[in-house]
Amino acid sequence: MDAFQTILKFFMNRKTAIGYSFMALLTMGGERVFSLVAFRCPCSNENFRYGLVFLFSPALVLLVIGYFLNSKTWKLFTGCWVNPRKIFPRGNICHFFYVFGQITLNALVAPVMWLSVALLNGTFYECAMSGLKNPAYLQAVCHSKSENCFEELHKVACDKSSLPFSESDELKRTLQAQSQILGWCVIVTTALLSLLTTCCASCQSKVSHLQLMFWRVYEGTEKEQLEQIFQLYATKLSERNLKCFFENKEPEPISLPAFQAWEDASQLYSFSNSKQHYSTIHRLVEEGQKGTSEERETMMDLADRREVP
Amino acid sequence: MDRLQKVLDFCIRYQTTLSYSIVSMLTAGSERIFSSVVFKCPCNSGNMLYGYSFLLAPAFVLLLLGYMVNAKTWRLFTGTCSPEKHLQCCSWRTCARFCQVLVPMTAKALVAPLTWIAVALLGANFYECAASGSSLTASLFCKNNTNYSQDQLFQMPCDEELSAKMSSACLSFQAQSQLIGWFLIASIMSAALISTCVTHCHSPVSYLQLQFWKIYSSKEHELFESKAKEHATKLAERNTNCFFEVTKPAEFHTPSNEDWKNVSIFYTFNSQEQYYSTLHKYVNTNRDKSTKFKEEGQHLTDLAFVDETQTSVSGL
Repeated sequence: MDAFQTILKFFMNRKTAIGYSFMALLTMGGERVFSLVAFRCPCSNENFRYGLVFLFSPALVLLVIGYFLNSKTWKLFTGCWVNPRKIFPRGNICHFFYVFGQITLNALVAPVMWLSVALLNGTFYECAMSGLKNPAYLQAVCHSKSENCFEELHKVACDKSSLPFSESDELKRTLQAQSQILGWCVIVTTALLSLLTTCCASCQSKVSHLQLMFWRVYEGTEKEQLEQIFQLYATKLSERNLKCFFENKEPEPISLPAFQAWEDASQLYSFSNSKQHYSTIHRLVEEGQKGTSEERETMMDLADRREVP
Repeated sequence: MDRLQKVLDFCIRYQTTLSYSIVSMLTAGSERIFSSVVFKCPCNSGNMLYGYSFLLAPAFVLLLLGYMVNAKTWRLFTGTCSPEKHLQCCSWRTCARFCQVLVPMTAKALVAPLTWIAVALLGANFYECAASGSSLTASLFCKNNTNYSQDQLFQMPCDEELSAKMSSACLSFQAQSQLIGWFLIASIMSAALISTCVTHCHSPVSYLQLQFWKIYSSKEHELFESKAKEHATKLAERNTNCFFEVTKPAEFHTPSNEDWKNVSIFYTFNSQEQYYSTLHKYVNTNRDKSTKFKEEGQHLTDLAFVDETQTSVSGL
């Protein structure tokens, strides 16, 4: 039993890395399936549109799913119609854009993975670019080939052109090579940008490293505790209500947080250097409930940023 | 069950070596997959760009990943340039400390990229494509290659007959690649051995104390994790209960922001004192509230294992 516990702990500790690797494998598998089963290059003047749709629509879908799955999105938007001040608090208009930017960066991981895998494979790009009617591009690709190349480039992807085999093979290889080089550019740029942004964010963090680690652990535990306490109180309340309904009695009072308390607790947390609070609930409990808190420092909130959906 | 426990103990004791071996094997495996499935040399003027991008871009990405995964990176960077430390940000001391920690960190992050490059060179596909795209590389290794035109050179990776003809006169691109690969492996191994010897030579502590220190470091990190979880659970319970029951919260002692800052400093060894970590030093100096708790000490690089094994809690 001890051994299993150790193994489980090992995997739980590396769950982010395992999650990303799993996502990468899933993307690769999905891309393979799409390109083998669903993708049929039309080999006509529609190549460009067809290829681009296959390249970018799944990325868009993955982005939307990323937004859906991030709980911060719902924390940000819930109740914003009733009270717009929630998103744009007085004196802090940029707060919304800051948080939305963080959510977008998190959601962009899957689409970028899809794009890089699709570009490294080369099928979609080959089909798309063989249909591009830009004269400069055609000149560059067809420059030492036969005359037919300019008109029949879009048929090359299906091997239906009248060009000799060596030429069409070379054209296909060139297009694939362009696609793969572009794919590597995307991967390298993304990796570099994410390392630089994370470094900058870390550098400017007001929280020291070990405290940040403790903070993450606290966030996870608080989430668990909230779930448990929700279950507990929901059970108590529903039991009391049903009992009173069926037995036709007067209900005993159960203390639950007021509406304003829920509103205050649902706000996104921002760290304040002078206080030592690890979450909105922590701050509420220590300071009591205020109406709408005015002084909210918006700093790069690393704890919320690393939240796993 | 007993055997499983023994296997686990073995894994835990040699976890560093095992993790590096697994990383190297995964890198070598993916290189083989890329080389056979994804890589198709275009055999035209784009050869050089194509070949070198497959050789170097993945290595660069692996290097960046190596930096990101290493918990020490974040320990080094977190809070260094926060607004209140602005004056200390660019001092000579900070820069020297940075460089001293950056070197072993880079060495660790370089394992995967160098494995990729070495395996790729031994496999020879990427280099063959890249070298055939540049007349400079071709002329470096084959003095009498004036028979071949630029176009023929481009076609070499795709045309076996042509490359066989070239290898009869001088070293083929594949052979060149493998030679460079072996040379790289040999030089990396020698450099690793020499630097490890030099590091051990410069160690301020004796061998047995170093062993004890390593074990102490890993134990402290383990216990920090479990203590943090315990403390966080108690705090979370108190907060959620108070929120629901609308009561006043009980007193709860948690380390202050200042305490956390002081304990997060990189540990520097001082031969006059006998502390095994920053936490040890801080706790022993009785949480002196004065700002005198600075980093003094000389030896940093030797104690690379200290502050290291925190990947688990950092979440990556």
